[in-house]
This record gives sequence, C-alpha cells and structure tokens, in this order.
Amino acid sequence: MNTFISTLITGTATGAIYALAALGLVIVWRGAGVVNFAQMGQAMFTTYIASNLIASGNSYWLAFVVALISGSLLGMAIDLLIMRPLAHKKSSSSTKTLAATIPVIASLGILAILQALAGVFWAGEERGFPTPVNSFYFKNGTGTLPFSAFNLFVIGVVLTVLLSLSYFFTQTGVGLGMRAAALNPEVARLSGIKVSRMRTLSWAISGAAGSLAGLLITPSTNLSPNSLDLILIVAFTAAVVGGLDSPLGAVIGGLILGIGISLVTTYGSPENVFLAILFLLLAVQLIRPNGILGGKQVRRG
Amino acid sequence: MVSVDKIWRKSLLKTLTLGLVLFLLSFIFDAYNQGQLALVLMLFIGVLSLTVLTGSSGQISLGQGALMAVGGYSSASVITHLGASIWTGFLVAVFVASVFGLVLGVAAARLSGPYLAGTTLVIALALPSMANRFESVLGGDVGLMIDFGMPPTWISNLIEVGYEQWQLWVSIPIALISLFFVSNLLTSRAGRSWKAVRDDEIGAAVNGIPVARTKVIVFVVSSAVAGLGGALYGLRGLVGPSVYPVSLSLTLLTAAILGGVGSISGAFIGTVIVVFLPDLVSWAISGLAVSEQVTNYLPALLTGVLLLATIILNPAGVMGTRHRSKH
Repeated sequence: MNTFISTLITGTATGAIYALAALGLVIVWRGAGVVNFAQMGQAMFTTYIASNLIASGNSYWLAFVVALISGSLLGMAIDLLIMRPLAHKKSSSSTKTLAATIPVIASLGILAILQALAGVFWAGEERGFPTPVNSFYFKNGTGTLPFSAFNLFVIGVVLTVLLSLSYFFTQTGVGLGMRAAALNPEVARLSGIKVSRMRTLSWAISGAAGSLAGLLITPSTNLSPNSLDLILIVAFTAAVVGGLDSPLGAVIGGLILGIGISLVTTYGSPENVFLAILFLLLAVQLIRPNGILGGKQVRRG
Repeated sequence: MVSVDKIWRKSLLKTLTLGLVLFLLSFIFDAYNQGQLALVLMLFIGVLSLTVLTGSSGQISLGQGALMAVGGYSSASVITHLGASIWTGFLVAVFVASVFGLVLGVAAARLSGPYLAGTTLVIALALPSMANRFESVLGGDVGLMIDFGMPPTWISNLIEVGYEQWQLWVSIPIALISLFFVSNLLTSRAGRSWKAVRDDEIGAAVNGIPVARTKVIVFVVSSAVAGLGGALYGLRGLVGPSVYPVSLSLTLLTAAILGGVGSISGAFIGTVIVVFLPDLVSWAISGLAVSEQVTNYLPALLTGVLLLATIILNPAGVMGTRHRSKH
C-alpha cells in the first residue's frame, strides 16, 4: 500500500512538471500557432546556465531566477529573430504546401543548434543538478513517509505558477489581450491590441515555464544536451491529451501522464513507458482528436 | 505533350547514368570514402521515402528512422534466424515495412501538421523499445549482427573487391531501383492524384480521387521505400536500437529540407551534404587547435544552422528554385 501511495505522490510531482512543460507548449500554440519542439532544448540550455552559476559558487536561488529570466529572453529572441520573419514570409512563399510544417522544422533546427551549442560550450558529459530542499523521504519515527520535501516543493511551485497564470489570463489587461490576439488576431488588432507583441510575450512566458520545468526535472534526469528530449515527448503527449488549446487541459494531461508513467514504471517495466505513451497518444487522437478539453477549432495545421 | 513512354525511358536513362558514375567512383575513391558513398546511398533511400511522403502529401514525418528500423529488423531476423540471403532480406523488409505502413497510415492519415510530426516523433522513440519486448527474436539492447558478406566467387575470381567496395556495389542497384521506382511513381497517374489531394482535398474528391485511401497508400509506399533503405542500412554490421535512433529520423528530414522537399535530385544533394559535412568540417579545422568537444559538436551545429538558414532564406531548398521556374 505504501508503495502505491508513494507511486501516486511521485507521479503527481513529476506530473506537475510535465503539466508545466505542456502548458508552455499550449501557450505558444495558442499565441503563435506553433508547436515548439525546441522548448525543452531552450530549457536544457538555461538549466546549463543555472548549473554553471551554482558551480561557480552562487546560491541555488540566484541561479533559479537567472535561468527563468534567460528562459523568457531566449523565447523572445526565437520569436523576434526566427518565427516572426517566418510568419511574414509565409504568405509570399511559393512553398504553400509546406506552410503548416515550416515552423515545426524551424523549431527542430533551433533544437539542433541549442543542443550542439550546449555540447560545444559545456561538453557532452552528464552532470548532476541540485535540489533546493531535501529529496529523501521524510522520516516519521520508525518508518518513512512516502514523499520528500522536494516533492512538496515541486507541487507547491507548480501550483503557484498555475494560479498566477490563470489570474494573469483572466484578470489582467495584458493577459486578456493575449487571449484576444490568439482567438482572433484581426479583431484584436482593430481593437488596438499589438498582436505581434502579444505573440512575443507568449514566447517569453512559455520559455520561462519550460525553463522552470527543466530546473525541476533535471535533478532526476541529470543534465546533458539531450537530457530533456523525453520531457518534450511527454509534454507534447500531455498537451494533445488535454487539448492543445486548453491550458487547463495541459495540466490535466500532465498529471495523467505523470501518474500513468509512475504506475507503469513501478508495476510494469520501464521500457514499456514509451509504448504506453504512444498508445495513449494514438488512442486520444483517434477517439477524441481535440483532446479532453480542447475546443472544436483546435486543428490549425 | 510528351508521351508517357518517353518520360519513362528518359528517367531510365538518367538512373543508369547515375549508376555508371557511382560505379566508376567506386574505383576512384579510397576504402573510407567508398563506405561513405555507400552510406549516402542508404540514407538517400530513406530521404526518398520522405520525399514520397512530404512531396506528395505536404506532411512531414519525424519517424522515418523507425520505419527504416522495421525494415532493418525484419531483414536481419530472416537472415540470422532462417539463414536467408541478403537479397531475400530486402524483399522481406519491403513487405513487412509496407504492412507496418498500412497500419500506421490508417492511424496517421487523419493527423496533420504538428500533430503528425509529434506523433511520428513518439513512434521513432517507442519503436526501438519493441526490440526488448521480443528479445529472443530481435536481440534486445544488443541487436542482431549482420553484414554484407563477401562477393560471390564469380565476381571475386574476376576482380579483387574490397569490403567497402562490395558494400557500395550492393547499395548501388538497391538505390537505383528505389530512385527509378519513386521518380516514375511521382509522375504517374497515382503520383499526380496524390499531389491533387495535397493541393486541394475537396477538389480531388470532386474529381473522383478517393482521398482517405490515397493518404493511406502514400504512407504504405513511403514505408516500403524506408524499409528497403533500413534493411540496407542495417547491413553495415548491426541492427539494434542504437542504429536507428531518433537522430536518424532528424538527419533524413534535414537532408530532405536542405535539398528541397519533393525534389528527387534535391534528396540526393541533401544526403551528400549531410554525410560529407562532418568530414569537411574536420578537414577544415584540422589545422586549428580546437578541443575535442568542439570538433564533436561542430558538424551538428553547422547542420542545424544550415537547416534553419534554408527554412528562413530559401524554404524550397537547393533544388527548389529551379523547380519553381519550370511552372
């Protein structure tokens, strides 16, 4: 029984991180119409920055903040330097048939560049990454409780982020402007919303969310140029399961995957995890293509 | 109006010319570059499979390497367990990969754009783990050891053939058959109906083209070609999860984009770039004092930059500009 509860709690904690990464994908998809396959590459890069800061004697929290800021700056840079020029070019390009897939290919190119750069700068060897609080199971007199302080920290941080994001998107002018720009760019532009600025902002928020996910997951995966590739796959699946245009769906999808993967790993075998993910992804797309909470107009591609 | 017969003969002539050039190169190149040229041909078949899919449906697949793995594993299985020849292996690979493509196509024909890209990426990741489930047949983590073998005696009696050269000689006919098949298919009635579906589904349906079936058939043909390429690729020594990683799929995509999606000559040029770029880079920086970690990652960095630059500056690829002017 204790194993089961501990599996559930670990699953919820990792699921919360998947939810965060999935949320990053959803924000850029809603805001800019791009599934950003480079997102966890960006996160890997900023986690390396944090790792270097810590290695040179700075505190975890300074590294944490710097990683988040550089994550949002990296997201903005990608939009301004690559995605925005591509979006403007699309209309004049003769490669009409590829239009929907060009941003996907661009994001794969960015991913390749970030991973190669990380290799050039910081070598290809794996390194560990610290947690801010203890990651051992709590001791309770004679036995151990089935969760650690780090589990609680992760769940707390992700919950805070989710609540503040939902406040931002429902209560603040900028957040509402972003949703309007995503929903109907033409009308939003006519109402005086700077649509392209809103797009850049969604890249920034998503970059920070991805970076946070990277910082929280890396203690359990170690850090290498490719270490977050699997998180991208899981986050993509979570986002599709929840509905690519639904932030709440992304959170639900993330939790489903976190707990599901945790259960498969404990009671099945770890190598079945990918098959389980593939099965879930195909099943959702065949049975309910818009995801659990996705709207009717999800499919843009 | 050029008659169909004439097109057919013209592409046969082109294919045979390419074959002759490659055959002559196999005498000029040293052993290492013979191997590299053979690698170009193997990957070229994989890129061709992507050309079939992307060029005639507008969709990209990030899982083409997984289909190559299907071909590689099925040919390796019949070679190791049943003692079949490599030529039988090729046929089995094409057949099994087609069946696999049919299953995949039925599921994936409904997906598009980023959905298809993401799903195929998961397939590329999940499929190699199948090798562990059927360890007795597929060899688990280690994989199955197979190779090109040595040339039959009637050739080796005639002329001395090195291993790399033999590798190249087996690859040339397989690549030429794929090339001839694909280039004719794309201009045939079937290929033109695929493009009609790509350009305008409703228009195609109105003109009597069965849209759903067409999409599945494109997948079947694409996987058959990928399976053949994968079987050839596996003969380099080992068929295992490490031989068909996700990065193989991305390499194929990069080659296709660099050369120009949908263009067959572009597919060849793109593959040549992707294979020989690392050699070129290490030759270019051999005089400079750079650390090993830079040398290791520089080719990947350059490939990424090339991919991004192509997409931004000239999304039609190297061969794309010439194609456009024809219209």
